[in-house]
Amino acid sequence: MQPASEMVSTAKAVANRRKTGFGGYVGNVTNTAKSFWHGMSVTLSYMFRKPITAQYPDRMPVARMAEILPARYRGFLEVDREICTVCKACERACPIGCISIGEVKDPTTRKLAGMDRFDIDIGKCMYCGLCVEPCPTGAIQHTREFEGSVAAFDNLTFRFVPEGTVSPVYKVKKGDGAVMRVELGTITRGILKAWDAPAPPFPPKEAAKPKSAAVVADTGATALTAALIAKALAAKDKPPQLIAVFEEAMAGTDCGDCGYPDCHGYSDGIVMGGDNDPTKCAPGGAETTSNVRQMIVALGRKAVA
Amino acid sequence: MQTLANYLVVHLFGADPATWPWTQVVYAVVMGLIGFALVNFGAITAGIFSWAERRIAARMQSRVGPNRNGPAGFLQWIADAVKLMLKEDLIPGESDHILFRVAPYFVMVGFSCTFVVLPFARHLVATNMDLGLFYVISITALVVVGILVSGWASNSKWSLFGAMRAAAQIVSYEIPGGVALMVPVLITGTLSMQEMIRLQSGIQGNFFTQGGWPWNWNLFHDPAAFACFFIYFTAALAEGNRAPFDLAEAESEIVAGYNTEYSGFRFSVFFLVEWGNVWVMSAIACTAFLGGWGIPGVSNATLDHASGAAAVGLELATLFLFAFKTLSLCFVVIWLRWTLPRIRVDQMMTLCWKYLVPASFAAVVFETVWTLAFARSPGVQLALGVVFFVVAGAIPLWLFAKRTYDNIGATGDVVDLSNW
Repeated sequence: MQPASEMVSTAKAVANRRKTGFGGYVGNVTNTAKSFWHGMSVTLSYMFRKPITAQYPDRMPVARMAEILPARYRGFLEVDREICTVCKACERACPIGCISIGEVKDPTTRKLAGMDRFDIDIGKCMYCGLCVEPCPTGAIQHTREFEGSVAAFDNLTFRFVPEGTVSPVYKVKKGDGAVMRVELGTITRGILKAWDAPAPPFPPKEAAKPKSAAVVADTGATALTAALIAKALAAKDKPPQLIAVFEEAMAGTDCGDCGYPDCHGYSDGIVMGGDNDPTKCAPGGAETTSNVRQMIVALGRKAVA
Repeated sequence: MQTLANYLVVHLFGADPATWPWTQVVYAVVMGLIGFALVNFGAITAGIFSWAERRIAARMQSRVGPNRNGPAGFLQWIADAVKLMLKEDLIPGESDHILFRVAPYFVMVGFSCTFVVLPFARHLVATNMDLGLFYVISITALVVVGILVSGWASNSKWSLFGAMRAAAQIVSYEIPGGVALMVPVLITGTLSMQEMIRLQSGIQGNFFTQGGWPWNWNLFHDPAAFACFFIYFTAALAEGNRAPFDLAEAESEIVAGYNTEYSGFRFSVFFLVEWGNVWVMSAIACTAFLGGWGIPGVSNATLDHASGAAAVGLELATLFLFAFKTLSLCFVVIWLRWTLPRIRVDQMMTLCWKYLVPASFAAVVFETVWTLAFARSPGVQLALGVVFFVVAGAIPLWLFAKRTYDNIGATGDVVDLSNW
């Protein structure tokens, strides 16, 4: 931006400043004149340029402000449930607790099957971005949308999974660098309510929990634990197989919450690295912790914590 | 002022002012009206400057500035004035109450009294005082008194620091400022503001030598006068506490300086004076160096003896020219504020005592010699004036404009005056 001749004159100015005596005195005067000449031409030149201020909302160069906001602007959150691994890392990261995820488990295998709810109370959100950072697939992101005034405050709760449906778990293919998602902003724009939209019913309808399924789940859980221990014992001296057995016991979301890159890494850490802590799998919850602990104990090691 | 009143008495009442019994009453009424008009002129100019400064500053910083009230946000200054007047007038409990209340009026009086001799057009001046320039320099010293009093009476360390800085600064800079103004006095041989403008009109009789052509201005009279214009301008900036000499109100160091404890109307008086001073200093510089209201090509005789519509037209032309030159200088003052950072106290003192004072003394000596050499040969002086105008005025202005234009292109921008 600065022409080379300017830099030379700046170097001269520095040299002149060090000069003392009459040469320095005259040098100071000429430096003053030169810096006025340069500085004032710069400021005056800005009088004739277009201000960069976007005069929202009166005089806009584009139809929507969101189009000209910086790419990393932190507006409303958006979740692409097609690529959500239901690891709930965002829910755990949120310091306010404005994210609420309802997970659904397969009653027989006890593995995560999907989610029936992904709500973000954007009225509470403080746009800190802590939920975006741990997301393994980039499913949750800040959009550049920010206009959300609604008459009914409850309309600010963004429901990314439509009521009554279950969104399946996204499995990250090993070796995939990046996960493709829909264009940022399209989902949130679809969810944003009009100013005068009627409020949703309050209190919100609770999904009916099938009681019989819980009983089935209990027996399924015990059977699963027994099977896992049996497999682990069978593969005791074959580390690759043993790692696979441990990975089977994990939630399988590859969320990285344990401190390892993915579920395989955690399993590898337990088998090869001597990690005896079974509590690290946050998405798996108490059930995974219990299974992994029993497996570690069955292998003849002492589980910590 | 008396001439104006006499003119009114003669033409409105058809009486000879010397014999008419009501003359003194008319004088009193006219005096009151003119005083009212001038104080209001100062207040309104200051208010409009507050708006202009914010708009210009915004533009120089790629912003827009106040643009909601009225066209281009012009009514913003009225809203601000109303807000300031309606605010509570707080007086700190531990302050010197009487002095605290009085201080803004000292500042206001020192400021508004300068308008008594400031010319606006050929005939439009409150009074054509013989000692005009001397009067202006001395009456503005009242502002220092007001600032010192406000700093002392506030009983706040920030106020006192600000007041001491302001006093040191204003008293110091009055020396180079006053001495620099002696150079136009040496050239024209008068202290009267109106007379000084009349005498910057070159050789009468030829269209290109008479009237307010730039080569007849004191600015291009000789190198010393040219230098003195800048010395005076710098000193006047410092005397008016304008950036980059706004040390007395350096908010990063001493909160708001001498007006830290003031609020509401009293605070607005300080502010009004600060902005109004921009007009005053520009008007003095315009009078002493830039040929005042002189119309290029119009001789003094034409101005003096015009009558009827021609007189009105010429009067309006002089008014316009004077306002245009003064406002251009005001723009430079604002422009400087958004170009230069605030200087330190020691730099401020160094600039005054080591550079401006010796330079102004040297200029006076130079000017004396110059006047002795060329006063008797106006033809030579005129030729030199043209040469100086080209070398020091026209060519640098062109180069500066070109450089400014190049600056716009250097960052890939284009000249675009939209989005106001």
